[in-house]
Amino acid sequence: MYLHMFLSLFQQLKSEESIGKKLEVLFYDRSFRKLMVQLVFSILMIVFFFYLIARAFSLELGFGHLGSRAGFGISHAFLIEYTSNDSRWQAYFVGIINTIRVSFIGILLATVLGVLMGLARLSKNFLISRISAGYVEFIRNTPLLIQIIFWQLVLLQLPKISDALTFGGFSVWSNRGILLPFINSIENGSLWFLILLIGLIVTLFARSYLSKYREENVNFFSPNLISLVFFLTIALISYFLLGINLYVDVPSLKVNEYGTYIQSGGFLLSPEFSAILFALVLYTGTFITEIVRGSIQSLPKGQTEAAQALGLSSYQRITLIILPQALRSIIPPLTNQYLNLTKNSSLSVAIAYPDVFMVSRTIMNNAGHALPMLFLILITFLGLSLFISIFMNFLNRRVTRIGA
Amino acid sequence: MFYLRNKLVAVVVLLMAIFVFAACTSEEESSSGASSSSSGSTLTTVLERGQLVCGVNDNLTGFGVVNSSGQFEGFDIDYCKAVAAAILGDSSKVEYVPLTASARFEALAANEIDMLIRNTTWTASRDRDLGNDFTVTTFYDGQGMMVKASSGYDSIESMSGATVCVLQGTTTELNLDDRFASNGIPYTPLTFETNDPLQAAYEEGRCDGWTTDKSGLASKRAGFSNPSDHVVLAETLSKEPLGPLTRDNDSEFYDVVQWVVFGMMQAEESGITSSNVASMASNPTDPGMARLLGVGFDGGEPSDFSFGIPVDFMQAVISQVGNYGEVYDRHLVPLGLTREGSLNAQWTDGGLIYAPPFR
Repeated sequence: MYLHMFLSLFQQLKSEESIGKKLEVLFYDRSFRKLMVQLVFSILMIVFFFYLIARAFSLELGFGHLGSRAGFGISHAFLIEYTSNDSRWQAYFVGIINTIRVSFIGILLATVLGVLMGLARLSKNFLISRISAGYVEFIRNTPLLIQIIFWQLVLLQLPKISDALTFGGFSVWSNRGILLPFINSIENGSLWFLILLIGLIVTLFARSYLSKYREENVNFFSPNLISLVFFLTIALISYFLLGINLYVDVPSLKVNEYGTYIQSGGFLLSPEFSAILFALVLYTGTFITEIVRGSIQSLPKGQTEAAQALGLSSYQRITLIILPQALRSIIPPLTNQYLNLTKNSSLSVAIAYPDVFMVSRTIMNNAGHALPMLFLILITFLGLSLFISIFMNFLNRRVTRIGA
Repeated sequence: MFYLRNKLVAVVVLLMAIFVFAACTSEEESSSGASSSSSGSTLTTVLERGQLVCGVNDNLTGFGVVNSSGQFEGFDIDYCKAVAAAILGDSSKVEYVPLTASARFEALAANEIDMLIRNTTWTASRDRDLGNDFTVTTFYDGQGMMVKASSGYDSIESMSGATVCVLQGTTTELNLDDRFASNGIPYTPLTFETNDPLQAAYEEGRCDGWTTDKSGLASKRAGFSNPSDHVVLAETLSKEPLGPLTRDNDSEFYDVVQWVVFGMMQAEESGITSSNVASMASNPTDPGMARLLGVGFDGGEPSDFSFGIPVDFMQAVISQVGNYGEVYDRHLVPLGLTREGSLNAQWTDGGLIYAPPFR
């Protein structure tokens, strides 16, 4: 088609005598003009990117410095071990784990809070709907960084460690953190936990396929029963293979001869982790509240009325009729909020929670190479965000398929 | 419709063209700047701008702090004033840029400031990797540990299992780990980005100790409502020479900063103060003093060291800011950092404050 247009243009050019006339023909030909504009645009783009790339390469790039000894301590190391003798890579991974930890728990809690508050906001009970509205307007309209610092200061107001609350020896509450008793194993505890987690996910997938199979083969075993047996088998086999020896890990508090209070055992919720978690959950929860409210309100009122007419209880109405339909319009904006929460977790640098950004800043300060480090942080957050997006897209496809 | 889209494309192309053009011209500028940097681009920049841009601390009493009337003051601030007085003849021609510990080197490397004086420790990796040059040490500091007086701590060894608050992006973080981890003493570092949340955490007992340079601890301790509730342990964890920095390959400006500081040290050694500098300049007692003040001795010509600034720059510095001892007495003695017997005494008194000859 283009060829045809240019052939006719060429014929026209040939028929004209003077150069001025020829230029005039070119100028008034729309497709030629378009082509020229696109050509100039592409060339400028290419020049621009080559300029940026050339500038970047004049700096020192590479990640060689990450192999050296880290030499600094990190206050929160979760799941993986870390000492200052480890490499800077190891320190960076500790930072990534800390970011994932606060983001993952934050996403779960913010979702629960957001859904509850979103339902509350639509409640006919004046008090409940006003509380939800007040929560949204107050938290949403204040800066997140200030909320994080606020929660840190609030948690520092817990008793000093010398006056810690012990609740009869089951838990230790002070401004050094909240120690909770939990079930631990003498050996391979976290490995077993990981196996159980993977086992649970596999079981849930298997269950959904079994349910579908059962729709066609009604006499088949109950999918719930099979799943339960399957999961328990995994748990028991790994329990005996790993030599798991469970005990209740009760926190304790001792004082040494110099007056240092040593906390040991239990599961530690540090004030830094709790402050960043509270702030992220409350802040993101407001946006999720509004998403849930908006999605439910966008459903035709007839859905509620029909459910009432069928005699469903209000719990059944919400879980069986309203939420499943609302989910279709909830999930896409919800993904945005999950991504925001993950990215906002990098604000924890303000209150001494060592997330990936904070650890990287320490490394940059010790060793320089700021550009490759920032690039690495960007790639890390990109990876986390893409993972969340892929998971949510998968969820979205499932939700939109139901009843479609 | 099509015409509208064409117009849009045209506008975008135009914007791109302007951007690329601007990028090219700015590159020409920076490349010409880089080529002239060997002949002292920062000095030229400061002279042309008529103002010195100084990266400082705004939250460390005695060294760099914003006082109640909104003015910057402190030991480090006075060196900014001294350099401005030497180059521009007026110690007030300084723009102060407050910087966090972790942002300071990037600010210097990115040309946001001309010189950095923010209680910064001279180390090999910082000198080599971060694109800056350390000039003269103005204050010999050492890392210390502050603990509550009510605790039983008498040494670092006694702090087994303690939680220690430390500022991010400092050598203190690394020294702390060296001292504890290498000696097998368990501890938990709590690393903050800025001082205020750190101070809140220390005061509320979130951590058992607070470590930073001893000068910084003295300054913070003086600011507490009841300073005697806190003690700085006698132990020193590290050598911390603090002083001003300039960019790499900027030797003319580097020399100016270096010799202004040396000049202030020499002035103290020669007994020249802000109150007697005028009479000393009009009637120098020896040729060395005449060379320092940029005046002729006994009717001779003044010696010019060709720094690219007025010959009598030290007169402006001493009359407007003072000599090393005056600056020290003004800002650090009130914090309880005595000079006698410390590394910061003049070399004639057994310290390390020593200026090479002005000759």
